[in-house]
Amino acid sequence: MKCKVCVRETEEAGFCSLHLRAYRNVLEKFGAWRRASDLGWMEYLVAIQKNSLTGGWAKEVVEHLIKDENGHVE
Amino acid sequence: MGKYTLIITEKPDAASRIAAALDIEGRGKRNVDRGVPYYQAYSDGNLVVVPALGHLYTVAAKNKPRGGFPIFDYEWVPRYLAEKGASRILVWLKVIAKLAENADCFVDACDYDIEGSLIGYCILKYACGGKEQNAKRMKYSTLTRDELRESYNHLLPTLDFALVQAGLARHEVDWLYGINLSRALTSAVKKNSGQYAVLSTGRVQGPTLKFLEEREKTIGCFVPTPYWMLIAKIIVGDFALDAEYEKILERKLDAAQIIAECKIGKGEVDSVVGEEFYVQRPFPFDLGALQSEAYRLFKYTPSKTSSIAQQLYLNALISYPRTSSQKLPPTIGYKDILGKLAEIQIYKKQASELLSKPSLKPNEGPRFDSAHPAIYPTGDLLGNPLENAERNVFDLIIRRFMAVFGEPAIRQSTKIIVAVNGNKFHLGGVKTLKAGWIRLYEPFDQIKDVLLPSLSVGQKVTVKRVVVKTSFTKPPPRYNPRSLLLKMEKENIGTKATRAATIETLQDRKYVCGAGNFSISELGFEVVDALTKYSPTIVSPEMTKNLEKEMADIQEGKVTKESVLKNAVSILKPVMSKLKANESVIGQRLSGTLQQVRFDEKTVGACPKCVDGKLIILRSQKTGKRFVGCTNYFKENKCHATFPLPQKGALKRLNSPCKSCGSPMINVRFGRRHSWKLCLNPDCPDKKEAKQ
Repeated sequence: MKCKVCVRETEEAGFCSLHLRAYRNVLEKFGAWRRASDLGWMEYLVAIQKNSLTGGWAKEVVEHLIKDENGHVE
Repeated sequence: MGKYTLIITEKPDAASRIAAALDIEGRGKRNVDRGVPYYQAYSDGNLVVVPALGHLYTVAAKNKPRGGFPIFDYEWVPRYLAEKGASRILVWLKVIAKLAENADCFVDACDYDIEGSLIGYCILKYACGGKEQNAKRMKYSTLTRDELRESYNHLLPTLDFALVQAGLARHEVDWLYGINLSRALTSAVKKNSGQYAVLSTGRVQGPTLKFLEEREKTIGCFVPTPYWMLIAKIIVGDFALDAEYEKILERKLDAAQIIAECKIGKGEVDSVVGEEFYVQRPFPFDLGALQSEAYRLFKYTPSKTSSIAQQLYLNALISYPRTSSQKLPPTIGYKDILGKLAEIQIYKKQASELLSKPSLKPNEGPRFDSAHPAIYPTGDLLGNPLENAERNVFDLIIRRFMAVFGEPAIRQSTKIIVAVNGNKFHLGGVKTLKAGWIRLYEPFDQIKDVLLPSLSVGQKVTVKRVVVKTSFTKPPPRYNPRSLLLKMEKENIGTKATRAATIETLQDRKYVCGAGNFSISELGFEVVDALTKYSPTIVSPEMTKNLEKEMADIQEGKVTKESVLKNAVSILKPVMSKLKANESVIGQRLSGTLQQVRFDEKTVGACPKCVDGKLIILRSQKTGKRFVGCTNYFKENKCHATFPLPQKGALKRLNSPCKSCGSPMINVRFGRRHSWKLCLNPDCPDKKEAKQ
């Protein structure tokens, strides 16, 4: 099966190894952002999508999560 | 001339210097036989000094068709038999063999390290008819007359066979890994797509590429988190100071609350702590430290610094640069060198100051190299002025040499805490009390003072305002030539002599993009990904580190070359089986990426006519001439945009578009030095202006 974001083979959670690592980072850092600015999931995704320090693969995952309603985390 | 002593050197420049140094009249007679220079000199008898051209022999496959793998049978052969474009070596070896016929004594005067010992050994064994067991060895660290004469008068009775064995092992292991792994990758692509591409890897390249890949992954997957810093703008007399809040805040609300509390506009000095500390003198340069410092100061790549240092050595201006030593033994003659430096106007003051000290003791580092001391200047100068880059590196080596004899610097740090309504803000300052060695190393030191006004506990200060600075955690920086070299050194992969070349190979193979900050290319990614998946051992720094250690042990006589090779082959064999078994999957992945890379190389930019097409460099089937056309031409003849191109010169796409008309730009390069930038648009206003 192909990764939800790219053409590589899926490793876990529908992502290839690269996007899986980025996805885990996105999930992990949500706690820190919520504590810092009291942001909701979607606001958080938009904030890191706009941030120039967010890595390319992490941004691809974020774009996918913004489009994907099932990827909602609270 | 009757019988003579044949002296073999590594390079022609060294031969000329050695002949001149050993000749009683101070000048060797230069002869040339079929383009090969050699020198006649007279010392205690007739001497003939003949240079090599670096390695004249190399490892090659024994009885194996070209391109086949795996290969575990090899032999040492003259380079012209194994490498294209090395035909000059044939003549060179013939001349050496002819000179060897009339020699009654043989001396290996190649550089005293693994490579030099191996070069001399191979020539004596293969070109001079098995003279390696009878030959003597010259050992020197500078090409100065005195040291060369001293070295010749105290010849080592035999070659350093431990170094030779270590050299043979290193070349054979590297060849086995390089040829087998590279052929596995190349063949995988060829079988899958019919395309030929030079794809290489090896026991040092693999782990180095892995470092870059891991860093790229960390950066690409990075998600920043916010934090806030508070800065209190404090006024003390004429000083406007920025004091930082004692903590980094992880909540925006906390920052807002503290700012509100600090609106009183006044603060009080809570504490003033001053502390003196020593800044120790630097260590003398080994090659890695020199490369690192030259990159920091001048942005010279490690390989550029290495070749400059080699040239300075061949001009007898510095000692042998390919050293890992941080020691400067007294035998190099500290006073003599400083005495010579004191005669050069720009070093006069510093060198004279050092000479006035009752004793000279360098600050040595822990690393030791049995073959050579750390890099030091000989104190000599060339008749001709040096080129800019050479002068910079030479100056750096001289100033570092003087700095290691200086006194430690004494500095004072001051930490002032200002309380604003119970919130503590820090001011930090540092002042140099005694410059010591820093003055000797100027302008290359990194030490800067930050001065603070004099403040005492309880003193009131005005707090103009407190500002909040939102920041985000940052990903680690990309490797640059300096940091990658340091990483390789830290992980102990490669040697001082080969690390810079490995980095260059990664660039040549297009595994790495960028000259300053390296990022791994798609191709590099695929190569390292395939290797990690199907032969993780090859990209593991551990494997290379262990092999490096074993090879160092050969040098110390702890293990034999044969046992190291046996171990290396036992690691390699299963790796090759696995790569062979997965050849088709690997080929598929690499071919796809290669195709994309080649397409990207040809792509010049977006088509200005149809917008969704891409401009690529094409060749006319009719005329064979090259031009730029739109990819949409191939899609139902949709776009006919074409642009002419010069028919000669190497083309490279430029990232920034034309400043005048916004069209794509390309760089056209002729030879090494001549290049010009070309805007693709024939109607570009710049071109019209130039015509008028």
